[in-house]
Amino acid sequence: MRIKSPKDFWAGLMFISTGLFFAIWSYAFYQMGTAVRMGPAYFPFVLGGLMVFLGLLVLIEGFVFEGTGEPLRLPFNIVDLIIAIAVFAVLLELAPRVGLSVDWGMIAASVVLSVLTVLFRPEAKALVLISVACLVYGYSMKPLGLVGATAALVFISAYGGHEFKWKEVLVLFLILILFSYLVFVKGLTLPFPMCPAAFSFC
Amino acid sequence: MDLFHNLILGFGVAVSPLNLLYALIGVLLGTLIGVLPGVGPVATIAMLLPITFNLNPVSALIMLAGIYYGAQYGGSTTAILVNIPGESSSVVTCLDGYQMARQGRAGPALAIAAIGSFFAGCVATLIIAVAAPPLAEVALKFGPSEYFSLMVFGLIAATVLARGSLVKAIAMVVFGLLLGLVGTDVNSGVLRFTFGIPELSDGIGFVVVAMGMFGTAEIIANLDLKDKREVFLSKVTHLYPTKDDLKRSWASILRGTALGSCLGILPGGGALLASFGAYTLEKKVSSHPEQFGKGAIEGVAGPESANNAGAQTSFIPMLTLGIPGNAVMALMIGALMIQGIAPGPQVMNEKPELFWGLIASMWVGNLMLVVLNLPMIGMWVKLLTVPYRYLFPSILVFMAIGVFSLSNNPFDVLIMAVFGVLGYICVKLECEPAPMILGFILGPLMEENLRRAMLLSRGDPFVFFQKPISLGFMVASAILLVIVALPAIRAKREEAFVEEAK
Repeated sequence: MRIKSPKDFWAGLMFISTGLFFAIWSYAFYQMGTAVRMGPAYFPFVLGGLMVFLGLLVLIEGFVFEGTGEPLRLPFNIVDLIIAIAVFAVLLELAPRVGLSVDWGMIAASVVLSVLTVLFRPEAKALVLISVACLVYGYSMKPLGLVGATAALVFISAYGGHEFKWKEVLVLFLILILFSYLVFVKGLTLPFPMCPAAFSFC
Repeated sequence: MDLFHNLILGFGVAVSPLNLLYALIGVLLGTLIGVLPGVGPVATIAMLLPITFNLNPVSALIMLAGIYYGAQYGGSTTAILVNIPGESSSVVTCLDGYQMARQGRAGPALAIAAIGSFFAGCVATLIIAVAAPPLAEVALKFGPSEYFSLMVFGLIAATVLARGSLVKAIAMVVFGLLLGLVGTDVNSGVLRFTFGIPELSDGIGFVVVAMGMFGTAEIIANLDLKDKREVFLSKVTHLYPTKDDLKRSWASILRGTALGSCLGILPGGGALLASFGAYTLEKKVSSHPEQFGKGAIEGVAGPESANNAGAQTSFIPMLTLGIPGNAVMALMIGALMIQGIAPGPQVMNEKPELFWGLIASMWVGNLMLVVLNLPMIGMWVKLLTVPYRYLFPSILVFMAIGVFSLSNNPFDVLIMAVFGVLGYICVKLECEPAPMILGFILGPLMEENLRRAMLLSRGDPFVFFQKPISLGFMVASAILLVIVALPAIRAKREEAFVEEAK
């Protein structure tokens, strides 16, 4: 059997595994109840089953019909995905043991993943750097303050683009941090720390 | 006289200085993002949702609505002048609008687009005012089984109208429904699918999911493409359409408005479908179809009226039934919920100033768009020259700050990033994210109504086919599914979407 449409094949697999997960998880851990008095497992179990069925249909389509449009080109493979998850798992586990908070574990994992991507998978640069930039922003807000978080977000994400010029990005960062400060901190009075937690003077 | 009375109440709310200001902000922002390709109304509204928390509900909705229909205006401006559809609903406007611009008739094309949109906006506002109250009246009589069937119908209609594979679209809806169930089960208090993460006990935040699926995913997908935007600017000289232009286009405007208003009400409808339908219709009824694609003014007038009418009438199911017809309406419901208002037919009676104020503001907003936009066209077009490499980090900053401020918790930003990756994979696998968002919103509602209906019927599943209204929705859903599954129509549908992709 030849896979004629990889897009349908992988989409089918994705639906089947998600559906299976929800159906099995709800069956195993929550009460099913009856049709009259539905337990917490009833609806997700039925939906999970439906999703498996639909996923099978999509999977079969992948073997029967020729795919249309552009060929499927994902910038990563299954191994990359596992490595990425492993990086986060290991560093999040490690951080508390060396006396660092979860925030720093997340930041460290993000940085490691970014470096790995830029070195070994440049075609996935946009995907990884954009996602990681958001992560770092969220988790560095407490330890580094709004200034540090915004700088991390702007520089990491801009590096995920096609062109990266230091001076341009620096100017962009200055404009954005000024704007964030005026609109969100001053205007909407959101309680963000401005400076890194270590600098107690500002 | 009731209608008159209500409209007066509405205009009283809409023209208060504060609401005028928010309407203005909304339509300006809408036009701005309409002009910029790669930033759509869905991402923008998702971005602004956290901010609306600090506003009163009327102002918040007025601003968000302004973004949606403002985007239709902005999108057509760039479609005509530079052949870039700023919004997906203005793709067809490129066909004839840009040809007109190349023949030196950019002014009349823009003017007709604006006039058509304004006319359609006025009519659609009236339609909402007339049609919504009786619909809400009917909806008040709905029991759980009617609601459940209505939601099934809405979700099926949304998938039928989505592009690409029907099965994939339904699977995405189910995926969304399942994700919507994460969190505490209302009936039993059991934590479902939370994996011991305390942040998940309230469920996954809707804004967070929408930002990831439509915001970050879109940026990543845009960066995958090469940045190759070129701007050829033809000077806009005389703006006024000739007598002949007006004579040729008034009927198209009428047809576009009528078609757009109908298609907008359908679940899954809205601006996009309306503009494609109107273009096809104009080509069919025209006495000189060979001119289409070569600068026929009917090809601008029809779709432009239709997309504005559709954008506005798609508010009807949201306002009267609490059921979102498209992703933007799903966000509107999200905005209502943030304000602590349960969307549904009772909103009209309990919050008349919200309901009628919103409707009146649509007319006011449309007027602003016509008055402001024609003189400001030059400025909007200049914005197109801003390179994407400045835009996307800025968009990211606003999204991240918005999501973070929801609960000052980095976990929300993490979830946004995860959904960004998921959304990117879905786009690559040709699975549409919009049906998933609808499912996500409706998941808990559907389960609740299913449970109640089954409890009332003592576990008899045929209850959905015994009550007439419920049966009607079920039959309609079945008919829709059969129609789309038929090979002939399937081919036609694919053809329509291929034409769209060009």
